[in-house]
Amino acid sequence: MKELAEIWSELLGLPPGEIPHDVGFLRLGGDSVLAVRMSALVRKRLGVALALSDVRVETTLDDLAELVRRHTSGGAPATRALPLTVTPRPDPHAEFPLLPLQQGYFVGQQDGWELSYDSAHYYLDYALTGVDGDEAADALADAVGRLATHQPTLRARVTPDGRQHVLPADAPGAVPQVRVYDLREAGPAEIATALRDVRQEMSTSGPDPTRGPGIDVRLTLLPGDEGRLHLGLSLLIFDGWSSSVLSRDLLAFVADWNAALPPLDIHFGDYVTSLADLPATEAWQADRDWWWSRLDTLPGPPALPLAADPQEVRPVTMGNREHRWRAESWAALRRQCTDRGVTPSTAMLTAFGVVLARWAGHRRMLLNSLQLNRLPIHPEVQRVVGAFAATMLLPLDLAAEATFAELAATVQATSGEHAAHNLITGVEVGREVARRRGSWRPVGPVVFQSVLGVDAAMGGGPPEEAGPLGRVVASDYFHQLRTPQVAIEVRCFELGPEMVAVFSLVEELFDTDQVTAAFAEFVALVDALADGSGWDRLPGLPEETEPGPASGLRLGLLPEPAVRHREGPPADDMEQAVADVFEELLEVPVLDRAADFFGLGGDSLLAVRAVVRLAKEAGVSVPVREFLSDSTVAGVAAVVRSRLGDQR
Amino acid sequence: MIGILGATGAVGRTAAQRIAAYGLGPLRVGGRNLTRAADLASSLPAPAHAVRADLNDPAELAAFCDGCRIVVSCAGPTYQVLDTVARAAFAAGADYVDIGGELAAKDALTGEGVAGDRTAVFSAGVMPGLSGLLPRLLAKGRPLRRLDVYVGGAAVFTPLSAVDALLTRGPRFGEPMAAWREGRVAPGTLAPLHQVRLPGFPVPVHAWPYLTTEAQTLATDTGADEVRSYNVFVSNRLPEALAATWAEVPDARPETLAPHAETVVRASLRDNADFGAFYVMLFTARPRPGAPPGPTRVLLTAVDSYALSGVVMALATRAVLSGSVPAGVHLAAEVLDPDATASALRKDVLVEGLTVE
Repeated sequence: MKELAEIWSELLGLPPGEIPHDVGFLRLGGDSVLAVRMSALVRKRLGVALALSDVRVETTLDDLAELVRRHTSGGAPATRALPLTVTPRPDPHAEFPLLPLQQGYFVGQQDGWELSYDSAHYYLDYALTGVDGDEAADALADAVGRLATHQPTLRARVTPDGRQHVLPADAPGAVPQVRVYDLREAGPAEIATALRDVRQEMSTSGPDPTRGPGIDVRLTLLPGDEGRLHLGLSLLIFDGWSSSVLSRDLLAFVADWNAALPPLDIHFGDYVTSLADLPATEAWQADRDWWWSRLDTLPGPPALPLAADPQEVRPVTMGNREHRWRAESWAALRRQCTDRGVTPSTAMLTAFGVVLARWAGHRRMLLNSLQLNRLPIHPEVQRVVGAFAATMLLPLDLAAEATFAELAATVQATSGEHAAHNLITGVEVGREVARRRGSWRPVGPVVFQSVLGVDAAMGGGPPEEAGPLGRVVASDYFHQLRTPQVAIEVRCFELGPEMVAVFSLVEELFDTDQVTAAFAEFVALVDALADGSGWDRLPGLPEETEPGPASGLRLGLLPEPAVRHREGPPADDMEQAVADVFEELLEVPVLDRAADFFGLGGDSLLAVRAVVRLAKEAGVSVPVREFLSDSTVAGVAAVVRSRLGDQR
Repeated sequence: MIGILGATGAVGRTAAQRIAAYGLGPLRVGGRNLTRAADLASSLPAPAHAVRADLNDPAELAAFCDGCRIVVSCAGPTYQVLDTVARAAFAAGADYVDIGGELAAKDALTGEGVAGDRTAVFSAGVMPGLSGLLPRLLAKGRPLRRLDVYVGGAAVFTPLSAVDALLTRGPRFGEPMAAWREGRVAPGTLAPLHQVRLPGFPVPVHAWPYLTTEAQTLATDTGADEVRSYNVFVSNRLPEALAATWAEVPDARPETLAPHAETVVRASLRDNADFGAFYVMLFTARPRPGAPPGPTRVLLTAVDSYALSGVVMALATRAVLSGSVPAGVHLAAEVLDPDATASALRKDVLVEGLTVE
């Protein structure tokens, strides 16, 4: 009980002695983000893996103690605590591997998948007032320099074959440079053009950590002591939590020339390196077994009607539909959620699921959700920036005759149960699903992301006063996201006292009117949840559980290119050369021309490495996407041969 | 007269049936159990009679060999038989074919002029034997960059064959985790493969590198730059049972190993229960760049490796009787004709498939 009270005290910012034992987690200020961390801490410190479906948000400290007692007394199988420790690596500049989601982004950047971009990144700019135009640029550059010392991940680079390392602080180009546009003397037309140009540039070409820093910081100085801060963040290097940490750290340094943040003993590379031991743990193996036993019955994504085959489109940016809920509505929604015993994130997820089911015409579907997923294996993990995030595949099975409140309760239980097995991430699960289905289309192209509650978890909203940079006007912002392998995603976040939900989607894939209608439905549903009228209604879901026979193009029901090669030994020197490259990378015998790179145990990162090797061996560069479209020995050899023919 | 010893065993039964079916001559069927030998003799499609024969009784052995044109020994265990029967056969003026023997028996007979103008062929089974013979179909004077051998499957061990398997360890048999590279054994260069898919094998398998002396000879004879040879298992049970025994019994002798045979037999039974019986021999060649075109894969599939060994024994017997094997002491892999053996195997119902492509 004492340990549990300490965990709650840390998470809720209350003294342990003052936590009432009979008041629910949600009412004490907890939320779904904190609940994930609570469950992770319980697992780490007490060695008890609780399903989040057990830890409902109305769970009290007494309830939790009883749960833990039941788990440890043999009522339920207990797993061991994660026996991992993070220690600083002897060489902080040594290479370390990419985490699974980083690998996905990396391969996406090589145009490996359908729905890829040159860079996976997030662009954001926001307004500043009261800027000291003569000091701001120097203060910002100095702050970025200090930040690059405090958070070495600002100096991170990714190698062409998909590993990462941190440059020494004194290496040329290690510290990101700040670009300044001084438009203090410019007229309105010139300002509008300049702003449009920089947004266009930073939205469509993000920072590329294979060539330079993973962060791009720019400052526009405007007349009247105003300005805008522009940030481009590579998703390969920074996750959503990191961008919040980064903003806070950066503004703290800008605000005060002498600011010193509590030093960090560990960094992202130390964390990743310690995870190498994860697969040897019983906890990891149990999570893998849990997922693997479910793979064959996972549903497909919502069968949304498509205007184009994802293979055929080459998107440059994603389109947005955005809505803000004013402080009163957001506060009302939070109260309603508390009364109904679900988190706001669950309510938004359920609303998204309802809209998708009505749009797709069926009720059982697979969503992909982005998780913060920092394993609490070191006390500083939450303060470090890096690409810790992971995806989680989440099947929804919405009952036809249930009220919204009932659906939300079920969704919360399902989501919690899946999140309790987060040692295996969605990227890894997706790879195994793809291997079993023999399909290389994205497994989870419909994404839900919510960081509602992050501000509270970070101890309040971001600072608004930033010294020579003036004052941050967070509500005046512009942002743009590009994530590979995503057809449509919803993101929910807080902006000061308000809440924002954004649909980001590949416009080329969808009928615009349908997207507009779906978003309007989503907003109306959330409004009805905030005013209380939406909870006890039947949301009008379709009768069908599974998608019916496909008419036209539908997500998840797209034609698979049928690739069949005659089995047999490699037919010529070229096929043998490809087999040799496969063999070297996969460390298994590759003896058949019909053997598939992924069937042999390859993953997309290794595929990129195979392409690099083939370029060296055969002197020809095979596009990653062509490699993946037919990744058999014979198929890849045919691509190499045709490329060689083209060269001649 | 063709004398066949150990004819009532798993290998000998098939060998006797094939020798009879090939019409090579009348058979003298020897076994420790006269009734079982007589039952077999009466079932054969050729004149045959049964004789009691105990290998440990020199007089009985000599009597058995007397009057034989050739003596065929399917008797085990190999470590016990060694060159005993071969010497008895030679003394009676007969040629000789043995399921086992390997280098130990061959060396014991070589260089003393024991053989005279007679012929002896050892290791005329599946492995060693076919495993060193069939890959030669891929070389034929063509320079190879690499030659791979994958042999195994799921077969039930008897306590006797388990002890034989436990004894096939040490420099006279082969070197685990080694490959052949550039003219010599390169120790510790290969790792076990787990759950790999290999052409011809019906399920993902575990392949343990074991560079047999046979594979070493194969490497020398074919001039391949690299040879990798694997024993293939359907699970890790057998390799683990073998390794556990070797770890416990440092001085591997039949007497010390016998108590552990049961563990090995049990592991093979459990594999058999999970996967059924199958046996696959896969050989792949990678010719040096610019080498003339030719086959790069030999794949043989069968159900029962013991019965398959019987077929090989019969083919070796036929080869000796037809005069295509020169006088002297040989190992089957080095002296049988790969093409003739392959085309005979292809016609045998016990071979499910044999492709050279």
